[in-house]
Amino acid sequence: MTAAQATSVAATPTEPRTIRRRFRRPSVGAVIVYVAATLLAVFWLLPLLWALSTSFKTETEASLGQDIHWWPETWSVEGYKVLFERGDHFTWMLNSTIVSVIVTVLTLVLCVTAAYGFSRFDFPAKNVLFGAIIAGLMVPGQALIIPLFDLVNALHMGGTYWGLALPQVVAPVMVFILKRFFDAIPKDYEEAAKLDGAGHFRVLWNVILPMSGPIIAAVAIFTFIGSWNNYLWPLLVASDPSMMTLPVGLQVVAGGYGLFYAQNMAAAVLGAAPLLIVFLIFQKRIVEGVAGVGLK
Amino acid sequence: MTVKTATPAAASAAMTRPPSAPRKKKSWTGLWFVLPFVAFYALFLIWPTFLGLYYSFTDKSLTGRPASWVGLDNWVEAFGDERAWNALVNTAEFTLYSTPPLVVLAIVFALLVNRARKLGWFLRMAFFAPFVVPVSVVTMIWMWIYQPEGGLLNHYLQLLGLQDASAPTVWYQGENGMAMWSVVITTVWWTVGFNFLLYLAALQTIDPSVYEASSIDGASWWRQLWHITLPLLNRTTAMVIVLQLIASLRIFDQMYIMTGGGPNRESEVAIHYIYIAGFEGYRIGYASALSYVLFILILIISIFQFRLFSRKES
Amino acid sequence: MPNHPSPPGSVFKRGPSRRALLTGTAAAAGLGLAGCGSVTGGLSDKTRVKQWNLLAGADGAIMTEMHGNFSAEHPDVELEATTFGWGTPFYTRLVMGASSGNAADIATIHLSRLKSVSPDTLLDAITIDELTEAGIDAADFPEKIWEKCFHEDRLYALPLDTHALVNYYNRDVCQQIGALNPDGTLIDTTGRESYFDLLRAAKEVTGEFGTSLDTFGGWRQFWAWYRQADGEMTFGDDDFEMDDDKALQAIETMYLMAEEGLCPTFSDGAQCAANFENGAAAFVQVGNWEINRFKLFGGDNPDWFSMTEMPAFFGNRRTQGDCHSFVLPHHNSWDPEVRKATVEYAAYMLKNSYRWGEGGGHTPSYLPVTESPEYQALQPNAEYSGVVENVQFDPDVWFSGSAARLFDETGSIFLQVYSLAMKPEEALELMKDRIHTLLALPNPVD
Repeated sequence: MTAAQATSVAATPTEPRTIRRRFRRPSVGAVIVYVAATLLAVFWLLPLLWALSTSFKTETEASLGQDIHWWPETWSVEGYKVLFERGDHFTWMLNSTIVSVIVTVLTLVLCVTAAYGFSRFDFPAKNVLFGAIIAGLMVPGQALIIPLFDLVNALHMGGTYWGLALPQVVAPVMVFILKRFFDAIPKDYEEAAKLDGAGHFRVLWNVILPMSGPIIAAVAIFTFIGSWNNYLWPLLVASDPSMMTLPVGLQVVAGGYGLFYAQNMAAAVLGAAPLLIVFLIFQKRIVEGVAGVGLK
Repeated sequence: MTVKTATPAAASAAMTRPPSAPRKKKSWTGLWFVLPFVAFYALFLIWPTFLGLYYSFTDKSLTGRPASWVGLDNWVEAFGDERAWNALVNTAEFTLYSTPPLVVLAIVFALLVNRARKLGWFLRMAFFAPFVVPVSVVTMIWMWIYQPEGGLLNHYLQLLGLQDASAPTVWYQGENGMAMWSVVITTVWWTVGFNFLLYLAALQTIDPSVYEASSIDGASWWRQLWHITLPLLNRTTAMVIVLQLIASLRIFDQMYIMTGGGPNRESEVAIHYIYIAGFEGYRIGYASALSYVLFILILIISIFQFRLFSRKES
Repeated sequence: MPNHPSPPGSVFKRGPSRRALLTGTAAAAGLGLAGCGSVTGGLSDKTRVKQWNLLAGADGAIMTEMHGNFSAEHPDVELEATTFGWGTPFYTRLVMGASSGNAADIATIHLSRLKSVSPDTLLDAITIDELTEAGIDAADFPEKIWEKCFHEDRLYALPLDTHALVNYYNRDVCQQIGALNPDGTLIDTTGRESYFDLLRAAKEVTGEFGTSLDTFGGWRQFWAWYRQADGEMTFGDDDFEMDDDKALQAIETMYLMAEEGLCPTFSDGAQCAANFENGAAAFVQVGNWEINRFKLFGGDNPDWFSMTEMPAFFGNRRTQGDCHSFVLPHHNSWDPEVRKATVEYAAYMLKNSYRWGEGGGHTPSYLPVTESPEYQALQPNAEYSGVVENVQFDPDVWFSGSAARLFDETGSIFLQVYSLAMKPEEALELMKDRIHTLLALPNPVD
């Protein structure tokens, strides 16, 4: 089963239509559009560029009341050096990675199997369960922080990676999205595979998953971004700095970042970098993913 | 299922066959696939939902001293709590201020990017990149840009002659709504990228032939926008607005970090007050009752969202 | 229904068998919950002591320095100290951590907050035997402070220092306006008006303010001036008593000072100190903890400023203050090694608090230090040594204390008084209103 077959069969709405245009001389309107778009885009990037520029300044040049230079007069990596010496930034980054990976992997495993189950089988209480999950789409996670905090502590998961990760795993919307995608895959392929003697898991693994590349990627990427950037939950659960994730550690631990802007911005740049890099690599997938997850 | 008479020929024949009629045999197999998720779901979503409801009838405290049943006390208090209403009003205010720019700018960006396709990669990156930046980093950068004396924003405003250097604007700590507006600006910068991508995707599914017909009629770009493009985006707009409403009702992170609810609770929002009541004030029981009020509000909006989703499906 | 039958919440807090069942189920699911601590912790075989504090400023630097010394002298102990944002963020973290058994081994709190962190359930008591073993004796502390460390006859806190609002002055400007005695100390003033005259003269020189102060920490100034006038604040079950006239007088002091431009209308902790450093103000009424910052600012000339007690506005030099103290957050179980090292750490910090006094400007609580000739000769600390006598602790109620709700909520009112957005009468009414609201809250601690 090739990927091309898979996507054409699955008829995913994530596939943007390719539009062929005849070559035309750029009109005045087009020039205006390009100029306006470029200016706006640069303008939109300014805060990030300003952070980047400041992070390479000396503390003296970076401090308030100095003239504003976009290009550092003296290049300095002092801010970054301090971060490396302190080290906690990297602990948090590692914690974020661990938690986000647990959340993403578990979400994928649980939601894919559940979506497959709902899509392909009829079983007792199916409608009740699916109805309950649909109802869960409407439950706002933030309104549950109080009982969840208590629950996680009662399970002795307070201040552990599990306590940080597991409550983030429950994502009914992902089950919903995946099920709809699976529903659109014709059953013929699996039946052929079953005739070959494949069990249900083999079918899921060898037939369904290869056909679901884009949607799985979208679910994975958005789960990962969501978990990496989650602030409120880790703020509540990760008491000790050694267990904090990056967004919480950066904000909560007052270690003299306060007035040292070059250091501060170095931390900001390092904090933003991992997902920005992920985004640059997977840009096409993410753009398609938003379309797929959002529009369905 | 156990018959093994498959041949490659049969398999390839299967591909050309139209989708077969659903084979519905009730068996327990499906339940095993669903069960792990359902178990998690029950433990981390359904159970806390009821636990919270139970707590709202007790005086449970974060300090762990024994709790007792207080009946409707918390609920009565919540409905009469000025601070809670103030928080809800602030939340609504934030929603009101932030939603229009988050929709309009997203459309503008999407229209531009849709036309300036040769720069697509760069433009998408620029508009969406802030969305993947963690909130603490976003606030770090903006709180610095907002510094009243020597901050980037005031510097340029003064340079442009829009601000008197002797009376610099106090942004996220400022009174008379400045704190709220500062967070709105930061939020728009941070999250508009997501809406932008939704619009971009919607634009790209529009059949170009609808425009070709109208350009023959000599319709201007502007007319095309108002009479063809925007109406075709209606459904996306409805969805963006609903998603935005839900997201805004849940606002906490940026507001908590930047303004801390100040000055004088001008920017204290619903989740923040729940946090204050439950964690800073130790009153788990009361905070649970407050959560439920918010919960019900979000539920109402979610029902709209759900209807929107299901209409799409049909 | 005081005892609701079989409440779902009790599964976790009171029903060990069902809790065990749940935990067991989770563990059986292969999650291995217990062994999932930080990946970075526990790499060495040293005894790890985790300390949380709220000291981010100049005194935080001194504490870090003392921690360095402690670590050098205790190679078998790995001290992991973390500084959190001062005030509510710190206390919330402490309480949330302790309620889940994940807090640090030892933490600094303000003694005025002891009650508010629910010692019964969230702190572990310290035994006298442990202290004796670490070489600390009850007689080593001022009695007035030592008594405050107990709750229901159990010792929960070890007091490190007394700190208070003091008055720093710029020697150079004070010289110019003739406000110095022949020995270089600030002249005494009596009454608010005579001090305001001093500020007016200083304002002429600085061109900006007379004095700087933290307009976000108005409670401190309020309490100092209110107590100077002998104002009392006592709390009953659902009512409280305060002296409206004296309170109004204290709030008016803020308004008058700001209105005349004798102090800034808006300055947070950092700006408050910066105003003094950059010469915008000749005085600053702020905590003794800024001493190190100002010394460092002076560079080669650390004597550019000196400090004294709060000026007498209403008949005496009373000031608002508190004690930094060590407490042991509740642990589900203590590793005896860690516990011993933790108490040892606290004892070390007390015994070596000379540096804390010298660098942090705080007055150590440990008498063997303050009574030593070395400390007695310390300048400028000796010039404000009277604060220990004059310090006024916050009123006794569960929402009071440094950075507690009374402090925060009245503070946000005073902030508006300083910014002249609210008249004193209005502020007083609002203040009483807020206190009534706080009183109406069910007490979540007892």
